[in-house]
Amino acid sequence: MLATFTDEQTWLRELVAKFAEHEGLDNPADLGEVDHAGLEEAFGKTGLTGIRRRDSGGVPGSSGVEVAIVVSELAYRLVPAAYLTSGALGLELLELSGAPHELRDSVAGGDRHIALCLSEDLSAPAPVTGASVAYGSPGADLVVGLADDGTVMSVPATVVVPGSRDCADLTRFVLAVNPAESDITRVGVLAGDARHKWLALALTAVSADIVGAARGALDRVVGYSADRQQYGVPIGSFQAVQHLCAKAHVAIEAAWSLTKYAAWAVDELLPAEALLAARAAKACAGAIARTVPETVMQVYGGIGQTWENIAHLHLRRCLVDRELLGAETAQHDAIANQRMGES
Amino acid sequence: MDYRDSGEEAGFRATLRDWLRQHVPAGWRGDGSDRTLLAARKRWHQTLHRAGYAGLSWPVEYGGQGRSPLYDAILGEELSQVDAPPQLETINYLGRAIWTYATDEQRAQYLPALLDAQTIWCQGFSEPGAGSDLASLRTHAELDGDTYVVNGQKMWTSGAHLADWCILLVRTDPSVPKHRGISCLLTPVDAPGITVRPITLASGVAETSEMFLDNVRIPAANMLGRPGDGWNIAMSTFAYERGPGDVGVITRYRHTLAEIEQWVRDHGADRDPGVRRALADAYVRGEALRLHVAEQLSARVGGKPPGEEGSISKLLWIDAEQHLLHLAMDLMGAEALTGPDGAWRRRYLSTRPMSVYGGTEQIQLNIVAQRLLGMPRAPRT
Repeated sequence: MLATFTDEQTWLRELVAKFAEHEGLDNPADLGEVDHAGLEEAFGKTGLTGIRRRDSGGVPGSSGVEVAIVVSELAYRLVPAAYLTSGALGLELLELSGAPHELRDSVAGGDRHIALCLSEDLSAPAPVTGASVAYGSPGADLVVGLADDGTVMSVPATVVVPGSRDCADLTRFVLAVNPAESDITRVGVLAGDARHKWLALALTAVSADIVGAARGALDRVVGYSADRQQYGVPIGSFQAVQHLCAKAHVAIEAAWSLTKYAAWAVDELLPAEALLAARAAKACAGAIARTVPETVMQVYGGIGQTWENIAHLHLRRCLVDRELLGAETAQHDAIANQRMGES
Repeated sequence: MDYRDSGEEAGFRATLRDWLRQHVPAGWRGDGSDRTLLAARKRWHQTLHRAGYAGLSWPVEYGGQGRSPLYDAILGEELSQVDAPPQLETINYLGRAIWTYATDEQRAQYLPALLDAQTIWCQGFSEPGAGSDLASLRTHAELDGDTYVVNGQKMWTSGAHLADWCILLVRTDPSVPKHRGISCLLTPVDAPGITVRPITLASGVAETSEMFLDNVRIPAANMLGRPGDGWNIAMSTFAYERGPGDVGVITRYRHTLAEIEQWVRDHGADRDPGVRRALADAYVRGEALRLHVAEQLSARVGGKPPGEEGSISKLLWIDAEQHLLHLAMDLMGAEALTGPDGAWRRRYLSTRPMSVYGGTEQIQLNIVAQRLLGMPRAPRT
């Protein structure tokens, strides 16, 4: 057993961290200045959009661990790129459903960007109908949905209804879709346990997004607490402040440990076992999604409560991520069903 | 990255499992007295030793197998699956302290008997006035020719009433800053002047002791390391004491969770959504602990010495285990508190010291904040 990153994985982390350092957000005002097309093009140039593309033998270029690394490093800096819904969740759906290779290649190559169709409560993937919502990043040009019978369909992102909803996560959108039947293209079908496989990767990737965003927030405020002085000393020297931050750090580490294991399990364990690991990761990540960013806002004190401070952007992203594919309660219910039999 | 056993680890595990099936003793609890249990643990350890299952991560030159700490973990996991006498916890980490700091003569004198559980060791570190602030310890040793004369008192000396030898921290130089004036002496527990008194914990179990030292004469040749090395010895002992090698912890957690799940089924509570969610949450906590420990062990195999991340594992362990017994007590309610069988409430009470021994939860949080997050220490007056 060697439950540590390989040198390549460490190198990948550093590569994405460097990209995110440049393209990430430092304060909410940056949001209005993001060139989304430029961002997607720059990310496409890293070659990372297609790491889950299968080769001719059906073997993915990279494992779930690499996906978790890319997602979490982008989230660390709140990069508003489409990778989570496109290169990660979207491409995986196309691969597992046998979608046309040209479509898979264009997404893998960073030429097209997917937003996902979800149920209105964000708890499950959904078909492209008026009852669903599209969840993605501003750079998306394609919406992909999944029906209960396993049909995967796509529709141009123009069917998204601007202003129809107001997503708390300011780096992503959740909007109603209004497709005409003629807009919808059937691209493939998920058969057998492929849905479980997709869900395992999806839950893991969303957990990685939470972990990255939470860690980014905590690291920022720990740095702040070293500089901010009151009573003649840094506020970071007060034990109460230290314990708040230490507990947050331990919570993040727990969620990250579960996420890395689930990421490894995606390709290494049977689908049911991989899904159990992914649900455990999502349950734990969901639990930290509110507590850690709230702690960060608390340690910032007064300025942490303002719009101008970046902290609430981390909180918002984590909160919406928490709902995606089920928050802790939904995961606990599913875990109980798997471990104890259906109730 | 790979969470599975390597081929070699899998082979080791399979052979060990097979061996255990044939060698785990029956009826070892006997009359249940401390002496009987200790004798059973010693005999079992010696059986393991003869079969090559002791000192797995000890250097070969000190009688060990020279394997990575992953093998200690595998041994811990497999032992937790069978009903064998519990492992003797001090052998590995106190053995390590000795081989690291001892002279060749001392290694030859102490290590073989320690590794074979011929001599049982305990740790005389904390004092009534020196718990979290261990460096303020006051048990002192004055040199009289080639002998140290030791006076003072030790507390929380677990296992002292059944131990043969003690690794003792003493102040040898009161004139230097407190960390630097501490040394380490090795002494038989039955040396004249040493009195051991058991301490009964809230659970009713006398699992630790206090130790009074009244003009105890210890040869200078029994000093481990040099004068002033005591603090370093203590710190490296802590790093290994309840570190990731003690992976039997996780299998015991799973057993406890399984017992609670069985209780839930037996009492028809397994369809209650709240109960199901609480059990799922307990499962998730156990997994987080298991996986974090697995990472730390792997990092050690990669050559990284155990360090401050051990505090994270300790905090995760405290949280998981104390929470689990809260769950049990909440489910069982008054039955656990007033029924004839006090087993669950004893188990619950036994979890309370976990957040105190080996460095309190609050000290661990300080370590995480200051050494892992780099937060500044408060100025001390």
